[in-house]
Amino acid sequence: MAVVGRQVFDWHRLIPLTWALVARRTPHLGEQKRTAAFLLRKLTTASSGGGLEDSSFAEPRKYVQEPECRTRLVQHLLEKQRTAVEREVTSPLLDMGFSEVHVNELLSIQPGTHPQQLLDIISELILLGLNPEPVYVALKRSPQLLKLPIMQMRKRSSYLRKLGLGEGKLKRVLHCCPEVFTMRQQDIDSIVRVLKEKCLFTVKQVAEILHRCPCVLREDPTALEYKFQYAYFRMGVKHADVVRTNFLQYSITKTRQRHVFLERLGRYQTPDKKGQTQIPNPLLKDILRVSEAEFLARTARSSAEEFEVFKKLLAREEEEASAGHVTGDESLEEDEEEEEDEEEEEDEEREL
Amino acid sequence: MAALVVRGVRDMLKRADFATVPRRHRHKKKWATTEPKFPATRLALQNFDMTYSVQFGDLWPSIRVSLLSEQKYGALVNNFAARDHVSAELEQLSARDFVKEAISHGEPEPENGQTAAPSPASWACSPNLQCFTFARGDVSCFPPARLGSLGVMDYYLMDAASLLPVLALGLQPGDTVLDLCAAPGGKTLALLQTSCCRKSEGWCLRQGRLPTSSCQGHTEYDELPGPGHLAANDLSTSRTGRLQKVLHSYVPQDIRDKNRVRVTSWDGRKWGELEGDTYDRVLVDVPCTTDRHSLHEEENNIFQRSRKKERQMLPMLQVQLLAAGLLATKPGGHVVYSTCSLSHLQNEYVVQGAIELLASQYSMEVQVEGLTHFRKLFMDTFSFFPSCQVGELVIPNLMANFGPMYFCKMCRMT
Repeated sequence: MAVVGRQVFDWHRLIPLTWALVARRTPHLGEQKRTAAFLLRKLTTASSGGGLEDSSFAEPRKYVQEPECRTRLVQHLLEKQRTAVEREVTSPLLDMGFSEVHVNELLSIQPGTHPQQLLDIISELILLGLNPEPVYVALKRSPQLLKLPIMQMRKRSSYLRKLGLGEGKLKRVLHCCPEVFTMRQQDIDSIVRVLKEKCLFTVKQVAEILHRCPCVLREDPTALEYKFQYAYFRMGVKHADVVRTNFLQYSITKTRQRHVFLERLGRYQTPDKKGQTQIPNPLLKDILRVSEAEFLARTARSSAEEFEVFKKLLAREEEEASAGHVTGDESLEEDEEEEEDEEEEEDEEREL
Repeated sequence: MAALVVRGVRDMLKRADFATVPRRHRHKKKWATTEPKFPATRLALQNFDMTYSVQFGDLWPSIRVSLLSEQKYGALVNNFAARDHVSAELEQLSARDFVKEAISHGEPEPENGQTAAPSPASWACSPNLQCFTFARGDVSCFPPARLGSLGVMDYYLMDAASLLPVLALGLQPGDTVLDLCAAPGGKTLALLQTSCCRKSEGWCLRQGRLPTSSCQGHTEYDELPGPGHLAANDLSTSRTGRLQKVLHSYVPQDIRDKNRVRVTSWDGRKWGELEGDTYDRVLVDVPCTTDRHSLHEEENNIFQRSRKKERQMLPMLQVQLLAAGLLATKPGGHVVYSTCSLSHLQNEYVVQGAIELLASQYSMEVQVEGLTHFRKLFMDTFSFFPSCQVGELVIPNLMANFGPMYFCKMCRMT
C-alpha cells in the first residue's frame, strides 16, 4: 500500500516539471501543450491506479518489487558516487519515470556530457512522446545523441513533429534509425520530398511511412523513388497499399526476385488499366512479409533449388540490362541453334 | 486520269503472276518507328497459358518460368577441329560431356561375372558425338566459339536437347541420310559429326537441281545419293544460306568438297516423288511454333495476327513433311520426327496422323519405336515429360533449362 502511495506522490511531482519545460519554449506552444496534455492524461490514469500496467511503469515497478533492504543499500551507494550537479539532475529524471539503475547508467553513458545537457536531451525526447524505457534504450544504443547541441535537438524535434512523428510514433523510428536526430536536415528533406513530390503520397501517408518503415530515411532518394515506381507501375500496387504493407522497407532486390518469379510462374499479373487481373494475385504480405521457405511453399509453390537458380539468372539479366549495350545473346547468337520456320531476312548483326 | 492509271496498274499487278511480298514481311522492326501495341510475344504467351495449362496441369508453372528465363546451352565439339584439345578445354570449365555420361550410364552391368548381351543396333545412339553442358543448377555460360588451328570453329553452341533427335536416329557408318528441314544447321552439323557420312561415290553438287554424276555422264534423274551421303534441305533459300555458312565455319573444305553433303532448297513435301525409298535415316525437324523463340523474339513471330492462318495450318504441313520423309525412307529405314514445341497438336497428333495417312493412302506400315530406354540414359541431364503417348518430350526446367524438344522414332516396315 505504501508502495503505491509513493508512486502516486512521485508522479504528482512530475506535473510542475512538465509545465516548467513548456514555459521555456514560446513557439509551437500549442503542440507542446498537447504533448504535455497527453502526458497528463497518462498521469491521471496512473494516479487513479488504473494505468499501472503501462510499460513506462514496468521498470520502476519491477525495481520496487525487489527486497527493500537491497534497494536501500544500492540507492545509498549510488548516491554517494554522484556529484552535486548530477544529483540536481537525478530527481527530475526519477520523476520522469526512469529507474535508479537507468538514471545511473544514463549519467555514465557519456562521461563528458554535462548533466544538464543530458537532462535537456532527455526532456526533448520525453516531450516528443517517448516513454522512459525507449529513451533509455535509444540513448544506450546511440550515445552520440547526447553530444547534440540542444538547439539542433529542438529544431529537429519540431521538424519531426511537423512531419507527424511526435506523440510516441518516434519510438520505432528511433529504434530503427537513431540517426534521425543526427543526420543532416537536407537528407531527411530529400527523402520527404521524394515521397511527397515524386511519389505523390499525402502528408499523412508520409508520416505513416516514416513511422512504419524508418529505414527509408537511410535510403538513397533515387533508389527509394525507383522502389515506389516498381510497386506502382510494375506491380500495380496503389499508394494506400504501399503504406499499409510496409512495401518500402523491403529491399528492391528481394521484392523483384519474388515478384518476377511469381510473374513468370504465372501466379502474379500486373493489373490492367482498370485494375483487373485474370487470376487472383496473392496478397502482398504473402509475397514480401513471409519467410522464403513459406513463400516457396505457399505462394510460389515451387522448390528452393529452382528459386536459387532463378535468382542467379535474374541477377545476370539485370547486369546485362544495365550494361545497356547489345542484347545478352549476341555473343552466342552466331552459334545458336535457332529453330525457326519463317522466312527470315538476315540481320547483318546475326551473320556468322 | 491519274486515278485510272493507278487502278490499271494495280489490276495488272494482281493479274500478273507476281509473287506478292508475304504479309509477314510488312512490319520490320528495323524500319518501324513504333512498337506494336499488343506484341506477338505476348500473344504467344497467352496462347501457351491457355493450351499448356490444360495439357501440363501443375507442371505448367515451372515450364513457363523456364521458358521465360535464359536458356541453357550445350557445346557440341567439332570433331573436325582439334577434338581432344577442345574437350580438355571444356572440361576445364567444369562442364561435362553428357553423351559420354549417358552411354556409360546405359552399359548394363555384368551379372555374375558374365558379360551382358550387346545392345540391339536399333536403339544405339549415333556415334562420335560429344556435347558438353554445365551441371544441373549451374548457370555458367560457355564463351563464344573460336576459330581453331585447323581453320574451323572449335565448338557449336546449341540447345543441348537438339542433339537428342540426332542421337536417337542412331546413324551407322555408310548410312545415306536426309535432313528434310535442315536450316539453320545445328542438327545437320551434328549429323556430319557422326562421321557416318564418310564414303563417297562422287556425285556433283549443283544448287537447285538434282544431282548428276560428275564423271560418269549419266542423265540427270538417274543418279541418286549413294551410301555415306548427307542430303540437307530447307525450303527457304535464305535459311539454307545460313546452313551453308555453318558448314563453312565448321566443316573443312576437303570434306565438303568430296560432295558428301548436298544442300538444296526444294519443297520438302515433294520428297516422296523426288527420291522415294532412298534413305537409310531421315530426320524431319519440322517448322513449328518454336515455343521458346516465340516468347522472346518479336520479329517474324508466328503468333502475329497476320500469320494466324499460317499457324493454324502448321499441323497439316507437318503431317505432309513427315509423310514425305517416310516415303523417302527405304523400307527398313528409320525416321526421327522432331519439333521444338510443347503442343500435342504438333507432336503426337502429327505422328499419328502421318502414320494413318500413309497406311490408308499408300498402304505403308510404319512402326513407332519406343525410346524409353533412350530416355533413361539422359534423365540426369534433361527433364522429360512422363506421359507422352508416342515419342519423348524434353520440358524446360530451371535446373536444366533445355528444350522444349519433342522427338519420335519410327521404322518404315514396308
